[in-house]
Formats: sequence, C-alpha cells, structure tokens
Amino acid sequence: MKQLDVRGAKCPLPIIKAKKEIDTLGVGEMLEILATDPGSVADFKGWAKTSKHAELREQRTETDDTGRTIYVHVLEKTA
Amino acid sequence: MSHSITVAELLSKIDAGERFLLLDVRNDEEYARWKVEGRHPVDTVHRPYFDFIEEESLLDAVPRDRGPVYAICAKGDSSDLIAEMLRERGADASNVEGGMVAYGEYLQPVRVPLDTDEAGRFEIWQMNRRGKGCLSYVIRSGAEAIVVDPSRNIGEYERFVAGLGAEIVDVFDTHVHADHISGGPSLAPRHHARYFVAGRTGMEATHDDEQIQLGGPDGVTVTVKLLATPGHTPGSTSFLVGRNHLLSGDTLFVASVGRPDLGGHVVEWGRMLFHTLTERFAALPDDLVVLPAHYAATSEIDANGVVCGRMGVLRATVPELQIHSEAEFVEAMKNAVTTPPAIYEQIIRVNLGERTVEDSEASEWELGKNQCAASMRRAMEAAS
Repeated sequence: MKQLDVRGAKCPLPIIKAKKEIDTLGVGEMLEILATDPGSVADFKGWAKTSKHAELREQRTETDDTGRTIYVHVLEKTA
Repeated sequence: MSHSITVAELLSKIDAGERFLLLDVRNDEEYARWKVEGRHPVDTVHRPYFDFIEEESLLDAVPRDRGPVYAICAKGDSSDLIAEMLRERGADASNVEGGMVAYGEYLQPVRVPLDTDEAGRFEIWQMNRRGKGCLSYVIRSGAEAIVVDPSRNIGEYERFVAGLGAEIVDVFDTHVHADHISGGPSLAPRHHARYFVAGRTGMEATHDDEQIQLGGPDGVTVTVKLLATPGHTPGSTSFLVGRNHLLSGDTLFVASVGRPDLGGHVVEWGRMLFHTLTERFAALPDDLVVLPAHYAATSEIDANGVVCGRMGVLRATVPELQIHSEAEFVEAMKNAVTTPPAIYEQIIRVNLGERTVEDSEASEWELGKNQCAASMRRAMEAAS
C-alpha cells in the first residue's frame, strides 16, 4: 500500500496532496495517509464523499514515538 | 488591492448591514457546529473547500451578484486558496484572515455609557468576544486599570490598556470558568498585578464586601466592591463598580441565570443561586446596570453595542427570576440541564491551576459558543 506522510501539514495541503497521489494510482490500489491535523478526519470523510475516484476505507488514530496523535486515513482508488 | 479582511472588518460589515456574500468552506461537521453571527443576518453559502479542489468548475457556481465574496474556513489557509482560485476566475473575492479561530478569539472593546456624575471619573469597557459570546471588562480610573474575566489572548488586553495610558493593577475572575481558559494567571504576573479567583489552588482569599480603590496620582478614584454571589459556582463573585454598575459574572445574565449544574451538585448549588438572586440581589436598586460575563444571542446587544440590562427590568423579565419558591427554582434548574460546554471538566482543571494546556490545544477546546446559561426553553425543546 502506498503511503502519504502529511504530518505537520495544515489544511488544505493534506487534501491537495492526497488528490494528486490518488490521480497517479490504478483502480483498486490503496493509499494510506498520515496526518496530524484533527480537522483532517472530517475533511477526508467529506472529500471522499465528493470524489468520484476514491472511497474512504478506514480511519483510525495512532500515537507516534513523541506522544503525538496521528490520524490515519485509508483511501481506495475506485474509478 | 488587499485580498484579505480581518475578523474585526468582517464583523463591522455585518453590523453595518453591508451587502456581501460569506463563503464558508469548512467541512459539514464544523459548519453545523458553529457559524459567524452578527447584528444582521449573514448572507452565507456553505461549500467545503475540498469540493472546489475536487471539481474546480464549482467555483463558477459561487454567486457573484450578492456583493464581494469573503471566504472563511477554520484557520484561514483553505479559504485563502479558494479566494485566490475565485479571483483567477474573475470574482471579487477575499480571505477572512485567521478564519474561525481568529473569529473565536477576537475582542471588540465597547465603552459602557456612564451617568453624568460618574462619567469622567472612570471608564468601563466591555470587551466582547463576539465569536464566543464571552464578555470581559476593563475598568480604568486615572493611570490604573482592573481586568475582569480576561480570556486567553492577553496581548489584546495589554495593548488596549496601554492605549488608555494605564497600567494593570488587579486581575479578577468572577468565577472558575468552565467554557474557556482564563487569561488571568498569565496576565497578572506580567504586570505585578494581583490575581484573584475563588477556589483556585494557592489563592489568597478575598472577603465579601472587600473594597478596592482604583485610581492614579491625580486623585481620580472609583470604588470596586466585591460581593459574594454563590450559585453558578460556590465561589462566584460579583463586582459593584462605582455607584451603578454590577459585573455579575455568570450569576445573572440579561435573559437568563447561570446554570448551577456544572459541578455535579445542581440541588446544592441551585439553592445557593436562589438565595443569591432573591436575597443578595433583592437589595440592589432597580436602576443598577447589570453587566454579565456572557450572552446567548446578538439580540442582547443594545443600541450602544453593549450587553447590559437594568436590574429592575431583569427582575421583571428574566424567566428564572419569576420563580419565588426555592423548591420550584431548584426543580426548574434540574430540568434546565442541557449539554455541558465541550471538555468543560478539563477547562475547569486548567482554571483551577491543576493542569496546564498548550495554546493550540486550548484553541481547539474553546471552539464554539458558550453554553453557560440555564435554558428552560432549550430544555423544553429537547424534551418535546
């Protein structure tokens, strides 16, 4: 699975980068995005609803070595 | 030409009834939670920024015949991009700097009118945190100033008081706030000022009826008297400023009273509140101007831009003040329990000095409007 690291980036960058990345993928391929902006949770949910090319497969939170919360979004290229 | 406006500019346009379109590009959840409000309805179109990124042609659907477009988002970066994309397509579009975070922190200073016998001796400034509905105060006499219920963005108070040519000598909180982080503990030491809030760890006690003389070397003075007014919290304190103004904290609002349930003792604190309102406040004159720490609707802002009410009017109109038995009052307070402010327990711990919080996290905690008033109407709506 391809990974996109946008930790530390503020909106709108995570979405812009994810869209660019999705455009390069083939149908059925997955993209895992690592973000630190809590607003990214609702943004990726909303964007996946709008997008004709990607669907949201999973959202979860993890904690990195420094104790920082990481918001993980998994998208599938669908069309 | 500038491509951005400040929150202060945006609010003055709304209050003046200027024609423009507010394009809110936040996601649905954030938009549903909290919106820009002013003294007139705001002509708003909501469409998340990622919709425009996904489908740029949607930019052409943004109306151009409703005045200039001001784009706003959570922090001001996404809306900056969308405003730029709109300009590239020929629209008159600007960004609201700092977005809803800046909106939530902006303080509008409004001078409270005084009667002729007091005007010129001192000033009361109501610092209206418009995005939150939180009110703090600067009282100035001569070269001295007291700040009451300051919010976290203490630089605003420092600049404002310096602009008045005064120095901060005392900082007070009317009570331990549950909806926002107090700026008091950080503001006071920077000015060698005294800080007081009842209940905070290590706090030197004040006493009921304590009087403070405020003024400078020129002899101009005003007396600020502390009144114990328990109920919203057991330590809630009100401040009688001069002859005719009462900073009532969250004890009494213009259209309601402070909810006594946030400590988990609604019966006990509700009784205290009843006695404060019916005994302590009963002794205060009808023409006393009540200046609260919160308001719930922009309709509470009067023609002078001030949120206030005469004690006599509040006695006759505030629904909770029409209840004359303790048991009925406590029952009404129990029924008026609505959703507590977000993360209020953590906010209380910070304001008690039991934990600290990073500025960015505090900003997230404070998103949204205050919910500090007991609302019988909201409770009825929720029950029906």
